[in-house]
Amino acid sequence: MHMRHTLSILLQNEAGALVRVAGLFAARHCNIDSLTVAITHDPAVSQLTLVLHGNEATLEQIVRQTRKLVDVIDVNSLSLLGNGTLEHGRLATGTSS
Amino acid sequence: MPLLKTSSTADADTDTGITRHPLAGQALSGADVIVQVLADEGTRVLFGYSGGAILPVYDAVFRYNAEHVLADGSEPMPLIVPANEQGAGFMAAGYARASGNVGVAIVTSGPGATNMVTPVRDAMADSTPLVVICGQVPTTSLGSDAFQEAPVSNIMGACAKHVFLVTEASALEATLRTAFEIARSGRPGPVVVDVPKDVQNAALQFDGECRLPIPGYRARLRTVQEARLDDAHCAAFFAALMQAKRPLIYAGGGVVTAGAAPALRAFVETFGFPVTTTLMGLGAIDTTDAMALHMLGMHGTAYANYAVEDCDFVLTLGARFDDRVAGVPDKFAPSARFVAQIDIDPAEIGKVKPVQWHHCGPLTIALERLRSYAHAHGLRPREDGHYAAWHEHIAALKRVHAMNYDRDSALIQPHAVIEEINRHTKGTAIISTGVGQHQMWAAQYFDFRAPRQWLTSGSMGTMGFGLPAAIGAQFARPDALVIDIDGDASIRMNLGELETVTTYDLPLKVVVLNNVGDGMVRQWQKLYFKGRFAASDKSLHRKDFVRAAEADGFAWAQRLEDKQKLATTIAEFLAFDGPAFLEVMIDPDAGVYPMVGPGATYAQMITGEFIPSRNAPATPAPASTAMF
Repeated sequence: MHMRHTLSILLQNEAGALVRVAGLFAARHCNIDSLTVAITHDPAVSQLTLVLHGNEATLEQIVRQTRKLVDVIDVNSLSLLGNGTLEHGRLATGTSS
Repeated sequence: MPLLKTSSTADADTDTGITRHPLAGQALSGADVIVQVLADEGTRVLFGYSGGAILPVYDAVFRYNAEHVLADGSEPMPLIVPANEQGAGFMAAGYARASGNVGVAIVTSGPGATNMVTPVRDAMADSTPLVVICGQVPTTSLGSDAFQEAPVSNIMGACAKHVFLVTEASALEATLRTAFEIARSGRPGPVVVDVPKDVQNAALQFDGECRLPIPGYRARLRTVQEARLDDAHCAAFFAALMQAKRPLIYAGGGVVTAGAAPALRAFVETFGFPVTTTLMGLGAIDTTDAMALHMLGMHGTAYANYAVEDCDFVLTLGARFDDRVAGVPDKFAPSARFVAQIDIDPAEIGKVKPVQWHHCGPLTIALERLRSYAHAHGLRPREDGHYAAWHEHIAALKRVHAMNYDRDSALIQPHAVIEEINRHTKGTAIISTGVGQHQMWAAQYFDFRAPRQWLTSGSMGTMGFGLPAAIGAQFARPDALVIDIDGDASIRMNLGELETVTTYDLPLKVVVLNNVGDGMVRQWQKLYFKGRFAASDKSLHRKDFVRAAEADGFAWAQRLEDKQKLATTIAEFLAFDGPAFLEVMIDPDAGVYPMVGPGATYAQMITGEFIPSRNAPATPAPASTAMF
């Protein structure tokens, strides 16, 4: 089932950082519906907001791959719940214990 | 090779703690900063090819070596020059794989950097730590289509673990030191540092310890490095294990990378699990051990693949269910009720096959923890005889379905060549390979007594890897016997590096198993394309490999065509004191068996004519396949 997902990524403002995030999604055949880049209170950090389609497993894997990018500080998923409220939470990281 | 002595500055660097770097505060050029950080990080040898945009760094290397001559007159950081930058990349990778240290390559901008793309991607795919420094056009010319300009950050960003484009000279030192940290930490990989020429020429003040803030990476790394198995997690593992009668360890390259082979050895001795390894994991356990099943997968041993079919519990260590191992993930280890996975990379947990138990953390600590938990709780499944029947079954599988080939053929069989070399080396030589049939025969028929003896392009499958990787390995292990087992097609890819062997007088042994074509491609064309050998036959090619080797300065270069002379020729070849080249004309129809076809299950394994199968004659192979 293809669901709409919103990802919020905090990214270090380094040369080529945005290309690497976008390239990772492209390499995994994941189409980005929309992408917004914003400054944060810290000039060294940008905030990316991505909207994309995909099933949960695909999304989970792509989030894990995104977390492997050195410039990425954090990844959060923002999912629109049925009642119209936003659920803001980290996806499972796969780290145990 | 007297060139590989410890440099005095690297020794100083091991005095960690509050001691300031002796050069802290000194004025250095960007190029001198680069060379000093390389020395501080323990770099003993550099591989690279010069060019306009990297000249300041090459000059700094020259001056560093001239100013720091070692007691025996050798250079502390010799720069080894290949025929092509790709060769430098694979030399650095061979050095890294054989030693466990970061391999370093330095190339110029544009074509120098793009020739490095293949080794960087290869290193990424096989988790090999590299630092690659590329010259770049000056910052003022970036993006102007300048002479020898390439968008290295964009190209390498998609291939490497990380890439830095240094646009601020003041960040150069911290960037390079951080590049080493990223390359060797966590799941290792290649890091590319793109350095514009004006940054190399900048006047800088050396700091001696600065690093870049990479808060996200370091925080995630710390989480993984500090992860420990708690009691509940251990209890869950053993609750499942105590139900199992037929446990199996599936070990990958991560065991080698983590230096966890001794912990695996102890674990196997305690619990009595048989172990099968991936192509990358060969050497993680001594392949001559009774509990070792050698390699599994597409061209794994029949007995390893049958053990995977029969086991009821799988412990996955530093392995990732690659399609050459688990072509059909659902049908991999179909009788296993419990699959456990330990890995350093959170993204590999359950990526291909769902697992019932996992731990993401340092492997040695995890294995020791499981052992101590069992000891503390009196869990002794092996001593209690849980696996007696399983061990008998494993021994029978190894006996009945042993590797074998056409020993009576009048033609030289490639397997016989490997067996004969192995009779001399006894599983202690460092073996590198190209990619294809010869790679699989080497994987199957050599013994590997220890880790880091087996250097092969596993994930990327890059033909041409073998010769330069062997050169790099010889620099890492000057006293070891290093043998490149190559194919006639693979060695052509980087044949220019034959000259590099003799230039540096490396006592390398190069074997070309010549079957006059792309043997593995032909094998697939026989199976899936009705024997139409599109572009894989090389019988019209005119290359005389022996004369080529002689032209490049090999004093010992011979062609072996007579089966009767196999043993004497190989003995002579291996005994030669210096670079030696042996071409063996092998049976061009020899195939690689067993074979689990692409997209097939282990139950569909073809064992060939000479390895007994336990199944009814295999169903005919499909006429074609969509799987690669």
